[in-house]
Amino acid sequence: MYLKVDSLEKRYGAFDPSVSNLSFSLAQGELLGLLGPSGCGKTTTLRMISGMVAATSGRILVGGHDVTGLPTYRRNMGVMFQSYALFPHMTVAENVAFGLEMRKHSKHEIAKRVESALAMVRLNGVGDRKPRQLSGGQQQRVALARALVFEPDILLLDEPLSNLDAKLRDDMRNEIREIQQRLRMTTIFVTHDQTEAMAICDRIVVMNKGRLEQIGTPHEIYETPATPMVADFVGRINRLKGTWRSDGAIDINGSMTIRASRPGARGAPVLVMVRPHRIGLVASGSAIPSAEHENVLAGTIRQVTYIGDTLQYSVEAAGARILVEKATTSAGDPFQSGAEVLLHWSEQDTLTFAADGER
Amino acid sequence: MNTVSVNENPFGRKLVLACLLPILLVNIVAFMVPVLNLAAMSFRAASSTGSLEEGITVSTWLGLFGDGYYWSMVGRTVWFGILITIITLLLSYPLALFVSRREGSLKAFLVVVCISPLLISAVVRTYGWMVILGDQGVLPSLIRASGFTPPRLINNETGVIIGMVEILMPYMILSLLSGFGKLDATLEQAAGTLGARPFTVFRRVVLPLSLPGILLGCLLCFVLAVSSFITPKMLAGGRVSLLATEIYDQAIVTLNWPLAACLSVLILVVFGAALVLYGRLSKIVE
Ligand SMILES: Nc1ncnc2c1ncn2[C@@H]1O[C@H](COP(=O)(O)OP(=O)(O)OP(=O)(O)O)[C@@H](O)[C@H]1O
Ligand SMILES: [Mg+2]
Repeated sequence: MYLKVDSLEKRYGAFDPSVSNLSFSLAQGELLGLLGPSGCGKTTTLRMISGMVAATSGRILVGGHDVTGLPTYRRNMGVMFQSYALFPHMTVAENVAFGLEMRKHSKHEIAKRVESALAMVRLNGVGDRKPRQLSGGQQQRVALARALVFEPDILLLDEPLSNLDAKLRDDMRNEIREIQQRLRMTTIFVTHDQTEAMAICDRIVVMNKGRLEQIGTPHEIYETPATPMVADFVGRINRLKGTWRSDGAIDINGSMTIRASRPGARGAPVLVMVRPHRIGLVASGSAIPSAEHENVLAGTIRQVTYIGDTLQYSVEAAGARILVEKATTSAGDPFQSGAEVLLHWSEQDTLTFAADGER
Repeated sequence: MNTVSVNENPFGRKLVLACLLPILLVNIVAFMVPVLNLAAMSFRAASSTGSLEEGITVSTWLGLFGDGYYWSMVGRTVWFGILITIITLLLSYPLALFVSRREGSLKAFLVVVCISPLLISAVVRTYGWMVILGDQGVLPSLIRASGFTPPRLINNETGVIIGMVEILMPYMILSLLSGFGKLDATLEQAAGTLGARPFTVFRRVVLPLSLPGILLGCLLCFVLAVSSFITPKMLAGGRVSLLATEIYDQAIVTLNWPLAACLSVLILVVFGAALVLYGRLSKIVE
């Protein structure tokens, strides 16, 4: 493993630790996503790795060497700041050139690389402007160019795309991935947008309240979340509270029975979670395909919301509201509010967690 | 007509003018009139008793320009002003930087400590320096006690410079702090991640961003240094003649008001030049 973070902890004063017992590692050239809600310690983690703040305890290793005590300027890590941190007294080109100048490249070389870095972030022709003469999204791209241009061993990106429009965000995202793979830069990509993380990261670390919640591939994080928090954070999900029965099924509300692929201890309270788009919807009385391993539930549609590419149905079933999502077709809504329907989903799609939070 | 600014202003232009009027009047009566009066007086002649004679004359001005003594005094005054300003800046800058990096109540406390000398009159503080620097004073005694011959620290240029620097430091620190707005620890960290060593960070980021504060502080201290006369008078013992002390002597001792007026106009010219230079430099810094 090239970059290794070992039981890192950071306390600011007497508050609860901002980051605690955080360990993960990256292979050379790996792109790791750092995902979590606002205030969970993502920026603090990057600041420790880059040496901007000292860790309260724990170690950081790069290529087997302990760099925990090394000053920032000797770590050779490109950092893109959440607040951009562009030098206000320098032009855009001077900002981007700064890292190259520190590495004593020739004038000609610097000019060439600044030019191509600005082209990469689609900012040709603004090199002579001052940062304050640019829009927020343009400044963000300058910051990205500045962190990338000297081709650091390790790249730390703190919400690099948060201020861009949807189209540009997709472009830049793929651009980052392409450059990162071409130069084999070991990269940590901080975001609170799970789609972004899923789209380009090799693996994802989900953090919550300063702790590591789960680390895994996008597929693992999405399909087998370790905690309800992870399940909740990486996409919309339905929650139902129930109890394990002796036959391995789950009793919800005394009125509904659900089966999961992995049964738990009898009598224990359980939290059941199902993704809205994994739930099938048919008219009441119709046959359900491959009914054997399916959970089936009768309900009434209470609300239909059209959001372009999907239709969201809010269905009342067994005393709970269950959200169901279906892709739209040009044919229009098959169900209206008030319709009697059957909900069905497979045992594999039924995520269960012990009700106190552990699986 | 500039409709935009009228629309942006919720009270309209008239109210703004009405609010500005009192201070405008005070400025005209209390500042412009005396200055014009002074300029007018420089074209009169004084009798030996000090009373002004009838009629307008340029003889005082001609005498002034013809006399190398006054030219060298202007030169010395400007040179002293620059020297004192630079020393004040060098001593204040690290302090101001240190204070600006503290946070919360500690910072507030340090700011108060830095400007607390302003609570004591310059006369009293200068007297303190006389006690410290005087021939039998604290510092020379200490030097003598450790077996060296102390240099003269009072009644000469050294004394004036030491005293003036101390008097001006609070003003310099305040100006620097107010001009450090663009300084931001994140920018220094950013430079660090790009590979800049601490000294390079200072040279390429901290210093350029604190230039507005430096310029403001230098202008203020230069003007104050050139125009102050209490401290130079007390610490120079009559051995260093500067514009401000000379004006005082001409007006109060010799009662040559026209000459004092001429010298005052000269000082105004020096200030004007300093202001123009400040304007130019701060435009470059922007
Ligand atoms: N200098 C500081 N002093 C005290 N507390 C701090 C400091 N910096 C951060 N914190 C605290 O540490 C916690 C984590 O902050 P951090 O900036 O790492 O969050 P984040 O995950 O980056 O959030 P966001 O997504 O909003 O950027 C927060 O609770 C914050 O209040
Ligand atoms: Mg952050």
